[in-house]
Amino acid sequence: MDTILFGQLSAAALVTGALYALTAVGLNLLYGTMRLLNVAHGDLVMIGAYVAFWAFSLLALSPLVSLLGAAALAALFGAALYYGLLRRMFDGSRAARRLEANSLLLFFGISVIVQNAAALQFSATPRAFQYLDEVYRFGNVAITGNRIAAFAIAVLLCFGILAFLRFHVVGLAIKALIQRRDAAAIVGVNIERVQLLTVCLGFATAAVAGSLVSMTEQISPFMGFPFTIAAFVVIILGGLGNVTGGIAAAFLLGALETFGVALTSSAYRSILIYGVFVLILIVRPQGLLGGRRIAQ
Amino acid sequence: MLRKLSIVLAAAALLAGPASAQSVRIGFSLAKTGLFAAAAPSQLNAYELWREQVNAKGGLNVAGTKRRVEFVQYDDQSQPGNAVKIYEKLITDDKVNLLLAPWGTPHHFALAPVLERYKFPMVGNTAASVTLREIKPGYIWFPTSAIPDKMAVEMAALIKASGYNSAAIISNVLPFAKEVKQALVPALQKAGIEVKVNEEYPPDIKDMTALLSKVKAAAPRAVLVLSYPSDSVLYAKQAKELGIAAPFQFVAVGPTIDFYPKAVGAAANGFVTMGHWSPAQARWKRAKPFYDAYVKKFNEKPDYLDTVLAYMSCEILEQAVAKAGLDREKLRQAISTMTFDTINGPVKFQGVQNSITPTAFLQIQGSELQLIWPKSIATSTFKPKTGW
Amino acid sequence: MRPNATAAALACLGIAAAALPLVAGDYFIGVGLSLLMYVALTQSWTVLSGLTGYVSLGHVVFYGLGGYVAALCWGELPLAAIVPLAGLAALALAVLIGLPVLRVRGPYFVILTFGVAELAKHLVIAIEGQLGRFSRVLFAAPGLETLFYILLALAAAATALTAVVRASRFGRGLLALRENEEAAETVGIPTVRFKLLAFGLSALIPGMVGSVMVLRSTYFEPQQLFDPVISFSIVTMAVVGGSDDVKGPLLGAAGFVLLSELLWASAPQIYMILLGLLLVVFVVFMPDGLARRLFPQRHGGPA
Repeated sequence: MDTILFGQLSAAALVTGALYALTAVGLNLLYGTMRLLNVAHGDLVMIGAYVAFWAFSLLALSPLVSLLGAAALAALFGAALYYGLLRRMFDGSRAARRLEANSLLLFFGISVIVQNAAALQFSATPRAFQYLDEVYRFGNVAITGNRIAAFAIAVLLCFGILAFLRFHVVGLAIKALIQRRDAAAIVGVNIERVQLLTVCLGFATAAVAGSLVSMTEQISPFMGFPFTIAAFVVIILGGLGNVTGGIAAAFLLGALETFGVALTSSAYRSILIYGVFVLILIVRPQGLLGGRRIAQ
Repeated sequence: MLRKLSIVLAAAALLAGPASAQSVRIGFSLAKTGLFAAAAPSQLNAYELWREQVNAKGGLNVAGTKRRVEFVQYDDQSQPGNAVKIYEKLITDDKVNLLLAPWGTPHHFALAPVLERYKFPMVGNTAASVTLREIKPGYIWFPTSAIPDKMAVEMAALIKASGYNSAAIISNVLPFAKEVKQALVPALQKAGIEVKVNEEYPPDIKDMTALLSKVKAAAPRAVLVLSYPSDSVLYAKQAKELGIAAPFQFVAVGPTIDFYPKAVGAAANGFVTMGHWSPAQARWKRAKPFYDAYVKKFNEKPDYLDTVLAYMSCEILEQAVAKAGLDREKLRQAISTMTFDTINGPVKFQGVQNSITPTAFLQIQGSELQLIWPKSIATSTFKPKTGW
Repeated sequence: MRPNATAAALACLGIAAAALPLVAGDYFIGVGLSLLMYVALTQSWTVLSGLTGYVSLGHVVFYGLGGYVAALCWGELPLAAIVPLAGLAALALAVLIGLPVLRVRGPYFVILTFGVAELAKHLVIAIEGQLGRFSRVLFAAPGLETLFYILLALAAAATALTAVVRASRFGRGLLALRENEEAAETVGIPTVRFKLLAFGLSALIPGMVGSVMVLRSTYFEPQQLFDPVISFSIVTMAVVGGSDDVKGPLLGAAGFVLLSELLWASAPQIYMILLGLLLVVFVVFMPDGLARRLFPQRHGGPA
């Protein structure tokens, strides 16, 4: 592979990896703290993308600014969902007993609702807009401004969250919840509050990823699904609940996808991703980087 | 239940009123949601315009009697499987009198057996296929001249005439694109044009970087992108990013639609695309009036490919029904044998294909789409693409 | 409802269904086909997921494979050979992937089955691509009546299968391993073998159903035949109707097909939204399904 190609592909892999990382972080937190399999995660990305699109088209707002709005909207949605439905998954009732399987079905229902409501409201015509699309050249690598911005913001946010989990009181509480739920309660962590916060944070990050993605991809009500899949592959690769692992896995997946496609053919991208997905689940469900086995 | 009741009531009303009060119900499905939803409005608008014009004249001429036209339409969500179910419903449950086509080759493909099963003729439009040529007697026809094998030959001729001798092909795997690609490679080679890159990609592709990097590295003089609207947009954005310098760039489906320049901006300038119509071609008397009527009603330009084809299929249906009425076998006979007068000039079918309209190409030049090939109907000549 | 009453009710339904093509037009036969399809699929699904607790979210893979086999063989082999062949292909797939896949537990299994179905879909797309095809049209397909009766037989077989398995020692073994797999092992139940058997049985009929449905639509396209919405619909029907005995899937399938018929053509998004809403409501508030509510167990059956 010549250097021109390699350089260009590496840049693409980095951008893809960063966006996967940002998308997956929320999913990881949701699973780690509450064992919720949010298959509607990609639809939050879609919501963020639409917010960015309408903000740009109607208010001429840059997506880099409107992403705050997208985050807020998603957080609100998460809070509503938490109070309305999710809390019941933990109250010891019959639903709570088969938590993960049920959460999967629950979120699938939500995903279907969100996607089709969006289709009803916005019609499914794919939308796009142009923003920051001047091309910058670094040696042999050409990249548009919006991709650079997306990369920068995604990376910043991911590291911000890592720092938050490590140093901030609430972040530590989240980590405690991920690691030992019962012990966390004893140590005085307000589980309700932390869970609510996690939902809001998880939803918000997905929406921000959506705003970033909207600059380069076409926006449509059903665009979220590939992001959901990618996020799942990432968190499984990195170990469920392991945020650092997830970020590393995201870049790994980005590289795998970009170079894999370059070496074989674009037509095989899905086979690559699902192949990795199935293999990891069968061979090492705790992920490449996950250490402990999550108790059933 | 309610619908059955209303049909009974309507029947009762009809028995009381004059025969010409009974409307002609024409059924079809279009992709209001899904992958092709960006393209479908081009077609729906043509249908709507035609219906409006026909009803303004007093109705559709059904072998002498004029009857109002009414549409029965559904959303097939860009899924050919849904189109199958819908058209079955239209034929067996809604019991429509006539059918109009859905959008896109995959859909037309899927419908062919259904039309054969129920022996219901339908004039296709936004589709072309070499494979369906084999079907006899056939209840489907394609008025377009953008037939894969003919297009391949003409494309090779155009590229050669423009003085280029190398090409890269990247293609969607949907049937039409695939058929074009299969014909294109040998046609190019026969014309002495070197095929440097020959790749495929899935319909839902999100990132073409790897693909386009290969193309850029090969530095061909012509880049042929056999794409559908979504990937056409993606191509424009990412080819601009990479700075692909080929002077001849062909993008199959998309550039003729009004949304395209809005989505990709000046990057689309110089793109060559499929199409065989222009309002500027004075020999086609109906062309300019149609263009003007469309712009007046919809405040935007018609899609030079799909809208035109959709309208043509309506014109063909109209003229066939005027002669043969609504009997399906007579209609099939009429469509197979008559010569029609359309906004794209005369049309006559030989088998499933249009034997008169030549295979042609359009190019985006500034803010206009110009017919650049063949010389017999061209309104302008090819101009190399000079950057982004 | 006592077992004899259930059997009698089912027999009546079966006779009514058999009479349908004689009185109704093509359109209603089509509706009947959809209903029978989902009854057959959901009943087969419960043999695995209802009884063992291993929830499969990728059951469409068997349906799709059966359909693919049929699409490949149509024109070469007679219908009577194609349908069983499709079933056998699905069974073979289940046996092939069963061992590694069934080692995985709980939520991992659920996502894994989904992943397997999607992987299979993309593999078929790639294979078709290599063969130079994107889709296949199937001309001169069998008439709707023929397909209807075949599907009726399949739905009846699936219902019978579920009933028979439930009542057998095998079925009780499956329920035991649903409660606690380790404990079941200790008591001497051959869990691996049982799981594999259930997996295979749950694949056989869906494969055949797939072959029938691809001929009904006369059009084969991997995206459509391996559509994950089918897997999710099966699970939704089982959740809403209940998956503990034969009545549940019947209720679930009937309810959804009815809903679908009213809405799929005129308001597809609203139909999907309702589907989603029902799923959400039932998962949270009534996870055991409607059948349990409408026909409560008299002597406290399996949990």
